[in-house]
Amino acid sequence: MTLGDFDERAKEGLSALVDGEVDRAGSAASCAAWAADDRLRADWHAWHLIGDVLRSEDLAADPRDDRRLCEAIRARLQSEPLVFAPAKSGLHFGAMRAASADAGRRLGARPGRGRWGAGGAVAAGVVLVAGTFALLRPDDIAAPDRLASTAQPVTTPAVAAARSPGAESATPPLTLVADGKLIRDSRLDRYLEAHKQFAGTSALGVPSAFLRSATLDSAAR
Amino acid sequence: MLPRAALLLTFVWALAHATSASSQVAAPAVAPAPPSEVRAWLLRIHDAASRRNFQGTFVVTGGGNVASARIAHFHDGPNQYERIESLDGRQRKVFRHNDVVHTLWPVSRVALIEQRGMLSSFPALLQAGEDGIADWYEVRAEGSERVAGHEANVLAIRARDGLRYVYRLWSERISGLLLRAEIVGERGEVLETSAFSDVVIGIRPQPESVLLAMRKLDGYRVVRPVLTPTRLEAEGWAMRQLAPGFRAVSCVSRQIEAPSEAAGEAAAPPVIQSIYSDGLTYVSVFIEPFRAERHAKPMFAVMGATSTLAQRQGDWWVTVVGDTPPATLRIFAAALERRKP
Repeated sequence: MTLGDFDERAKEGLSALVDGEVDRAGSAASCAAWAADDRLRADWHAWHLIGDVLRSEDLAADPRDDRRLCEAIRARLQSEPLVFAPAKSGLHFGAMRAASADAGRRLGARPGRGRWGAGGAVAAGVVLVAGTFALLRPDDIAAPDRLASTAQPVTTPAVAAARSPGAESATPPLTLVADGKLIRDSRLDRYLEAHKQFAGTSALGVPSAFLRSATLDSAAR
Repeated sequence: MLPRAALLLTFVWALAHATSASSQVAAPAVAPAPPSEVRAWLLRIHDAASRRNFQGTFVVTGGGNVASARIAHFHDGPNQYERIESLDGRQRKVFRHNDVVHTLWPVSRVALIEQRGMLSSFPALLQAGEDGIADWYEVRAEGSERVAGHEANVLAIRARDGLRYVYRLWSERISGLLLRAEIVGERGEVLETSAFSDVVIGIRPQPESVLLAMRKLDGYRVVRPVLTPTRLEAEGWAMRQLAPGFRAVSCVSRQIEAPSEAAGEAAAPPVIQSIYSDGLTYVSVFIEPFRAERHAKPMFAVMGATSTLAQRQGDWWVTVVGDTPPATLRIFAAALERRKP
């Protein structure tokens, strides 16, 4: 098989994907192909643009607009903090840590992703948050096995997001705590606990802020 | 003991405030309350929380977590007493007599005894009108609503800049007791709610019930965290600038590791905790020596209304925690400077 054959087959696959005529495996292969190959990506974009313009001339916009939008979204996502969901019981921590440790190992074996992977991966980071909240439903506490299996697929891409280059971002590149390992880190809890001891520093303070901090148990001990 | 820079800043804020006040002449129908009234509102809320006797169920919701507690507050002359029992998760009881706070975990038989000096210091600032709250927040009355079976006045406290969150407060009409408080984020989303689901105001005070419980520590392992007052400068650090509206209120040197863990390894080095307040909210800056095995990578986390930023600075590890937008924490992190080698 020559390189040309390979290109042709990749193009056919991509064309079928645009037309919605491939199965799941075929679509995964084609997506991987366009993510890795600049020319395929250009084709993918051009075909979509042709389709769009055929449907409505209003869609004949400068492709650079799309790019700017894409980059703006990516920059914004990178400056967003990762929202944490607090855990409630020891069983939980165990299950989440086990799951994340596993995900961490898998990540270690995987090379960093390219630029194009980042967009999708950041989106998956949002799924991580949803997944974490799902983890905290009481009925899930009784099923640690299921917890682990839910946590893995969503955790891994989120880590990839955190490690993607932050060049476009205006804020200094910070690694988000996305691998779950630190999500229920008792060390973080201790800082929070130490912080809360000064709740009286607020005008709403004594005892309102005190009640607030006393009601919340940060599980530090 | 305000540093001169802070005084200068106060002057600058006053100027800025004067300018903003004049630009608000054409404001909508509900005008923001003048500073004296803002102070009166807050003092009323503060007084009610200290000088009333009440009992109820308090619920804090935020960051996907819900915690509730049974609360009783008694007041007897200058003394204040409180009993708080958690209703969710681990069993935990908190007793407070003025500045002394006991936290008991009946199952693990651990008792934490703390002296919280800061609990009483802030009202003085409010009373003296030195809080500066009105410079950074705008307070508006928003009618009345019913909360936990009581009629309440609704107050909206809007931040004048993006460095603090917005608050909505429900204050009981007769006593002023804060029945509900919401912390609202930059996009109008409620980050955290703390509220009474039911409360009885004006109950008979029973301070003995608190004092008796505070004396009964048999069988408990008592932990007394030591907080040594210090100054940032004395520790070899300085803040090049504070986030606008914030002032330094306290600085301590302390351990934050659980004692049981620290016993196994070499005693962890103390952590410096410096606290800054804008009158309504506050930020803690923690500084400790960098240790590769503990401080693996920088992080930035949000839980409910509380954000945390942690990063390495030379041979040090800096953690900034606060109930503020992340931008505020970044200002503190960026302004911290090592003065001694």
